[in-house]
Amino acid sequence: MVEIKGFLETSFLDWRGRMCGVMFLSGCNLRCPFCHNHPLVQSPESLDSLDFDALRIKLASLKKWLEGVCISGGEPTLDPNLPAKIQQLKKDGWAIKLDTNGTRPRVLAQLLADGLVDMIAMDVKAPLQQDKYDQCAGIHVNLDTIKSSIAIIKNSGVDHEFRMTVVPRFHSEVDIINWASFLGDDSHLTLQNFNPQSTMDPSLSTDKGFPPEIFSRYREMISRLGIWH
Amino acid sequence: MTLFTKPQCSRCKQLKDRFDLAAMRVHVEVLDNNNADSLAHLAWHSLIETARKTLPILVLDDSSTIDDFSLIENQLISRATQYGINGRDSATKKKNCPSGACSL
Amino acid sequence: MGVIMQLQQKGKKDREVSTVKGETTDLALFVRTSEEDITGWNRHRIVEALLRETYIDPKTAEKISIEVENIILSGAVKTVTGPLIREMVNAKLLEKGLERARRMHTRLGVPLYDVDQLLVHPNKENANVPHSPEATNLTLSEGIKKEYALLHVYSADVGDAHLSGDLHLHDLGFIDRPYCTGQSLEYIKKFGLNLPHSLSMAAPAKHPEVLLAHMVKFAAALQSHFAGAIGWDAVNLFFAPYLEDLGDRQVRQLAQMLIFEFSQQAVARGGQAIFSDINIYWEVPKHFENVPAIGPGGNYTGKTYRDYEDQAQRFAWALFDVYKEGDASGRPFFFPKPLVHITEKFFKTEGHMDFLHHICDVAADKGNTYFVFDRGDTAKISECCRLSFKLEASDFEDAKEPWRMRYSALQNITINLPRLAYKAEGDDTKLFTLLAEKMMLAKKGHQQKKRFIEKLMSLGENGPLSLLAMKCDGQEYLRLHRCTYLIGMVGLNELVKVHFGQEIHASDEAMKFGLKVIAHMNIICKKLNEETGMKFVLEQTPAESTAYRFAKLDIAHFGERARKVVQGCVEKENMYYTNSTLFNVGQTMNPIQRVEQEGLFHPLIEAGSLTHIWLGEAYPDREALADFVIKTFKYTQNDQVAFSPEFTTCLDCGKTCRGLHSTCTYCDSEHVDGITRITGYFTKVSSWNKGKVGELHDRYRNDNQFMKTA
Repeated sequence: MVEIKGFLETSFLDWRGRMCGVMFLSGCNLRCPFCHNHPLVQSPESLDSLDFDALRIKLASLKKWLEGVCISGGEPTLDPNLPAKIQQLKKDGWAIKLDTNGTRPRVLAQLLADGLVDMIAMDVKAPLQQDKYDQCAGIHVNLDTIKSSIAIIKNSGVDHEFRMTVVPRFHSEVDIINWASFLGDDSHLTLQNFNPQSTMDPSLSTDKGFPPEIFSRYREMISRLGIWH
Repeated sequence: MTLFTKPQCSRCKQLKDRFDLAAMRVHVEVLDNNNADSLAHLAWHSLIETARKTLPILVLDDSSTIDDFSLIENQLISRATQYGINGRDSATKKKNCPSGACSL
Repeated sequence: MGVIMQLQQKGKKDREVSTVKGETTDLALFVRTSEEDITGWNRHRIVEALLRETYIDPKTAEKISIEVENIILSGAVKTVTGPLIREMVNAKLLEKGLERARRMHTRLGVPLYDVDQLLVHPNKENANVPHSPEATNLTLSEGIKKEYALLHVYSADVGDAHLSGDLHLHDLGFIDRPYCTGQSLEYIKKFGLNLPHSLSMAAPAKHPEVLLAHMVKFAAALQSHFAGAIGWDAVNLFFAPYLEDLGDRQVRQLAQMLIFEFSQQAVARGGQAIFSDINIYWEVPKHFENVPAIGPGGNYTGKTYRDYEDQAQRFAWALFDVYKEGDASGRPFFFPKPLVHITEKFFKTEGHMDFLHHICDVAADKGNTYFVFDRGDTAKISECCRLSFKLEASDFEDAKEPWRMRYSALQNITINLPRLAYKAEGDDTKLFTLLAEKMMLAKKGHQQKKRFIEKLMSLGENGPLSLLAMKCDGQEYLRLHRCTYLIGMVGLNELVKVHFGQEIHASDEAMKFGLKVIAHMNIICKKLNEETGMKFVLEQTPAESTAYRFAKLDIAHFGERARKVVQGCVEKENMYYTNSTLFNVGQTMNPIQRVEQEGLFHPLIEAGSLTHIWLGEAYPDREALADFVIKTFKYTQNDQVAFSPEFTTCLDCGKTCRGLHSTCTYCDSEHVDGITRITGYFTKVSSWNKGKVGELHDRYRNDNQFMKTA
């Protein structure tokens, strides 16, 4: 059963330009070795569950401060009650941002069709090569679902971004450039640097992120291509 | 309902003369140099800066506040009616504070 | 200081020498005196000192000197030190019940062991002091002046209250200086750099670089006359008339020079960087709009400051460009601290959103920016860790001739709040009576310091405070009658925890009780003002070492009761009390609640308050931060906010990265140091005292979204 396992009352970094609250839902269909929220995925029972209505009350008390609610995970689209939850939050007057890994395009399409989402951030794991993607997702991924989600999001007209966590062990400079060009000019690709603190795959904990100057060069490279806003 | 006042404030006095505040269940807080409780209460309602500009201030039961004198009067008139109490007419109706004491 | 006199006995061992009354014993003794000379033993020196320094009569002095001489002769020692002779005389005074004379005859000095320790080990009372010969000079002289202050400036009850930890007299080692000062550049723009007893006199600057040089030198001169912060009002605006002919690159260059000059002043007094603050406005503050502007050469430009908005903005922008970049290795600048005033007019001034994003970018990236909120018609000069001087009617009058604007707090005395709660044992009346008593003692301490500074100031331009006595504009630079006297607090949170049973954040009732304590203090200040004509105001004491000192002393005095209350780890000796009126630093509390609820205290603390938002490693979005700043201005009473990121700087490869790590993320070296904000400024973690290290460990960084099931 999908439950709410985490709540950050005020985030300055989950929604560009906005202060928002963030809910974390348990469960995920991927096993990315560099995942930070892995207890949500692997051992959700070790975390306290939070009551949705209690969170709504908490959010209501922050109404004049926050500009929206971000639903993250885990993978929130696995939650059969996600539309109901969002509808309730919408009724409470909140703008909604959804974090997803793009493996459930039909759920995405439906949420968008129902006008339930104001911003989507999709995590893309690697260029669309089967071996690479599977390696970064820690599990076999049907690439068609990813392609289809990308298309749905790009054509949705809804504010969006694609995010890629770059890990020296998995990603090369060429991968990043390829991805950026695949997504095209209006891709809104953002890069996140790998952080070895608390990873799903313990063997990664001794790895390092890209050195800051290289990482910022990648970021600048993408923005020079005109595809990083 | 709470009314924040000050001892030498003529507008505060005007309200106290005109309305039977106790009967209307309006709690009166007097801000003077011996009353830390009232000052703390004022701070609790985030009203110190406001009180430095103007007094009296009325805090309604839903914690909203009124610092405009005419609006306070109106509010108290309707409160009086609600409690079936007739407000006394004030002989000296002044909008402005002649003593300059109508602030913290 | 600590000059050792040696007395060598070269005489006969059988001590057959008679002590003829009235004569000093004819011993072949030599004394190494403090004049770096070796003279023969002369018992009369003891008599002379007693007559010169104390009130006792010649006959008693004579008697004591003979007794002391006999003791020396009866001992088998071959070498005695000067301090020993003096202490022997003191022992005699004590024996005879001449306590007052003993105090007057006290020797101030430092044990050899302490000096040895000091020269080798770093000082951690103030993280802004590096370890260097200059720094140890400072510590040694502070030590002597501290003792002097406690014996000679303050009465015994005030001194004892300090020593026992009932209250803390700040900067005792700077007893002969006021606490801190805030001023405008207009003074040096108008009068040039004309300091008493200096070798040369500089006319008002004609070029911006020269103005900057004057500013830095004047700040250094002020630093050696004040204990704490040196603040500058509306720096970008007052520089503006000098910038009209400069291109953007030159303005940027000037901004860079300003920041580097102040950040590298650790070559100054005591190897200590000048604790410098620059107040920055995006708009032209209302009270300067119609003030005639002073430009190159100290001449009026014929315009008013209203006309310099563009130039002032250009400079403000450039300053933050420099902050954003950081120093040569990408670290944040520690000084000067930029304080940006957010006012009603700020929001009516064109370009304010861009500027807000710019300074929020710096806040997110390097953490430098302080957001100072001036709501309504309030105007302030801010400095130090959070101190601010609210402008009053007479100050707005001064603002017409801004060189007259200079504000000083003479001293800060902090009350140990948790101790009151231990003593009150749950009794409200007792608690508030004790609080009033301690504040009366603080008043007394302030009056005593005031009298001492007045005495030094009365010596005028020939006295030690000649700089502060200079009268370029007809008034002394230090306007004593306008000084404020700060009363601070440490550990409101723990007071409430002991007396009320909950920490402040835990319930509305606990919060209300906390407010009541501070309201009490606020009201007592007002009464003291009426009684003395002096201006007492509450300040949130930065309490860099006081929070640790009080906690440690309370464990010593109150044992188990205090152990249960202090924060941090007693075993590791990193216990501390929560600073001022802040909430438990480790409490999971969203930043909104923190600014709102800590902000409820701020209007009661008129000399300045600050809420910290610890960011840790997180890199917030600048627009989200800007939104937060705007809402803090609009929806709360909060006085000042700063966001504090953390960094790790590598001592081997010299690179700096985000977050506190045990090894360098570039080169894996374990030879690293953390950088983050201590109480009100950035500094290296290795220089922190134990209590603050404990606090750093506990700080909540807005990232604890998951609760592990029990």
